[in-house]
Amino acid sequence: MERIEVETRVKKVVASLLKINLAEVTDNANFIFDLGADSMQSLELVAAFEEEFDIELDQDKALAVQTVADAVNFISGYVD
Amino acid sequence: MERSQLHQKNLDKIFYPDSVAIVGANKVQGTVPGDLLLNLAKSDFNGIIFPVSPREKFIAGIKSYRYVLDIPDPVDLAIIVFQASVVNLALEQCGQKGIKSAIIISAGFKEVGGGGVDLENNLKAIANKYEMSFIGPNCLGVINTDPRSKLNASFARNMPEEGSIAFLSQSGALCTAVLDYARAKEIGFSKFISFGNKADISEIDLLHYLKNDPKTKVILVYLEEVTNGVALMKVAREIIHDTGKPILVMKAGRTSAGAKAAASHTGSLAGSDQICDAAFKQAGIIRCDNIEEMFNKATAFAYQPAPKGNRVAIVTNAGGPGVLTTDATIHEGLELAQFSDATKEEFRKNLPKTANINNPVDVIGDARADRYNIALSGAFEDSGVDAVFTILTPQSMTDIDLIAREIAKVSSHYDKPVYASFMGEADVAVGVHSLQRNRIPHYLLPESMAKSMATVYKFSQLAGINGAEPVVFKDVDKETVDAILMGAKAAGKSFLTEEEAVKILAAYKLPVLESTLVNSAEEAVKVVTRIGFPAVMKIMSDDIVHKFDVGGVLLDIKTAGEAEEGFTKIMDSVKAHLPTAHLKGVLIRKMIPAGEEVIVGGKRDPAFGAVLMFGLGGIFVEVLKDVTFRIAPLSRKDAAEMISGIKAFPLLNGARGRTPRDLAGITDVLLRLSQMATDFPQIRELDINPLIVLDKAAGCYVADAKIML
Repeated sequence: MERIEVETRVKKVVASLLKINLAEVTDNANFIFDLGADSMQSLELVAAFEEEFDIELDQDKALAVQTVADAVNFISGYVD
Repeated sequence: MERSQLHQKNLDKIFYPDSVAIVGANKVQGTVPGDLLLNLAKSDFNGIIFPVSPREKFIAGIKSYRYVLDIPDPVDLAIIVFQASVVNLALEQCGQKGIKSAIIISAGFKEVGGGGVDLENNLKAIANKYEMSFIGPNCLGVINTDPRSKLNASFARNMPEEGSIAFLSQSGALCTAVLDYARAKEIGFSKFISFGNKADISEIDLLHYLKNDPKTKVILVYLEEVTNGVALMKVAREIIHDTGKPILVMKAGRTSAGAKAAASHTGSLAGSDQICDAAFKQAGIIRCDNIEEMFNKATAFAYQPAPKGNRVAIVTNAGGPGVLTTDATIHEGLELAQFSDATKEEFRKNLPKTANINNPVDVIGDARADRYNIALSGAFEDSGVDAVFTILTPQSMTDIDLIAREIAKVSSHYDKPVYASFMGEADVAVGVHSLQRNRIPHYLLPESMAKSMATVYKFSQLAGINGAEPVVFKDVDKETVDAILMGAKAAGKSFLTEEEAVKILAAYKLPVLESTLVNSAEEAVKVVTRIGFPAVMKIMSDDIVHKFDVGGVLLDIKTAGEAEEGFTKIMDSVKAHLPTAHLKGVLIRKMIPAGEEVIVGGKRDPAFGAVLMFGLGGIFVEVLKDVTFRIAPLSRKDAAEMISGIKAFPLLNGARGRTPRDLAGITDVLLRLSQMATDFPQIRELDINPLIVLDKAAGCYVADAKIML
């Protein structure tokens, strides 16, 4: 899967789950500090990424991911 | 500007901010960010609140900002409640905004280890870069009841009443328990501070601030670890000396698992808690074992004037409790006041015939407020009374509430303290409430009452003389000690030979006898003939610490023949026990006359630096652990207290017809050792065991010494 596709789908998942505009989900946006994700939403995001890409993520490593760009890189490592 | 100076400036904005940003706030009640905002809004805070939340436009009806940088007005204080992983981003923005003071509530830093330590170090670096100061992380927050501020910047459920007691705590959870306890007892606070991991602002900085806080009369501290004991002692002394404010500390860790195997007696006996105890005592800090004791004493300090003497009048409506109170009074070192004839006449005239007009004044079980008035007024008027204990038990005719008010009314006319114990619980509750509202310290038990007053009395007596200066001797030879220690370091030694130890002690004019190293039986004979009899012979080797255990010591050598034989005996025995040990020879010196054996030692503590120990020597030191500690450098008063502080002190001081020993000699040894331990931090542990103390004015002698590096 192309990186750009991963990025587009990640941003859509984030915007939908956090109920924010897609435009706010920039590459450098921090899930907690910029987008306001709380700890429950962080867990939900990991689950939503797994469902979106049909993958199983390492929970601890996934929760340590801070920004949208880092999430895209992290998930890219799990998809072909 | 030094960080500590900066903190003093920035702490003012922590307690008295004109505007506060809550960074990471949310709308969810029952969460730390949600409740913190509501608590602040509910506390009638005299300033502006700016919620900062990435997603909310308004919280609790207050306009919210996405970033602290978006706030158009200046902000004095930031309270950060974000998750640990992004606190650095929040603090960085606070720095960019020009905010100088912060409280970091968030947990997940040093206390969790691993990456948390790095996160905390990062916060310190950011604070340093922007000249900011912060309390926390991992704390409950800060409360200031001063009407000028009215700040509840915490997630404690309730804002306490205004009062004159400041409470500092390393544990956030204990804070809420203390607030709840104090609320039930109607105890108010001036400042209430949970300082958590103390990554930036520490208890030392807070104590400095409270020293100059006009709203604070009494300071309470809960500590789990002392990281800078020397600074803690210094600030405590300053506060007590300059302001007379008492400092009461509850320090966790009474039971020490840290009595690690050590090479010296001092090392194994000086657990960190004993050292803490000694340091607190030396600095005038009052140590409390539990919350109840702490508040019993704190209210005695905060609510009543200090007694000018220790003569107590007891007013009671019950004989038994009067006796119990008398026992407790005497037990705590207080005295029962002797009433003047005029006072007794007054009581005789106005109290029932069956009343006891001597101290304790028993106003009889059916007494109402009028009789308490007579007894209390008489006691307060009597110039032989320094303080009054009031006891009440609830009989059917006892007007409990009126009596409580009478105590408050009468005592308000006098500059003497009054304390009360209304014994019981349910029936007396109404009176206890009145006492608490009127700031009369109340105690469930007379024993607690006597203990609390005794603490206040002793503190007021000691406050003036705490500034005793350390003694410094000018006749010491630092160069010699320096040379020996440097040589030992170069040789990679972890302990010095007795010969080296003796040279070091001699350089500081400690009472060591001349000793000579010999390498043959013939030399031994020559030396003993020169120095005289009886003599002592000891093996010398860098490889042997416990010489007795390997047959390396012979005492009471009375003839040249014994010396000749002794040399061979020692060498053979040691070689048999330790064939590989390198033997330097045998040390010979004159035998010290019989006297009392004491131990004097020192060790280096990571928090308090050089610590000295004193106790009876021989088996007593290990079996009875009857030892005292003080932190170096010692004043003459410290040294005297170390000696008189052991339980066996009467044995040294001529009890039951024994000859008094040379206490001045021991004092001198302690003071010189204190100076040496202060001058040479590379000395890790040292023991003089035993120091033989002869009769008064006859001196004392070092019989054996060990120095570890």
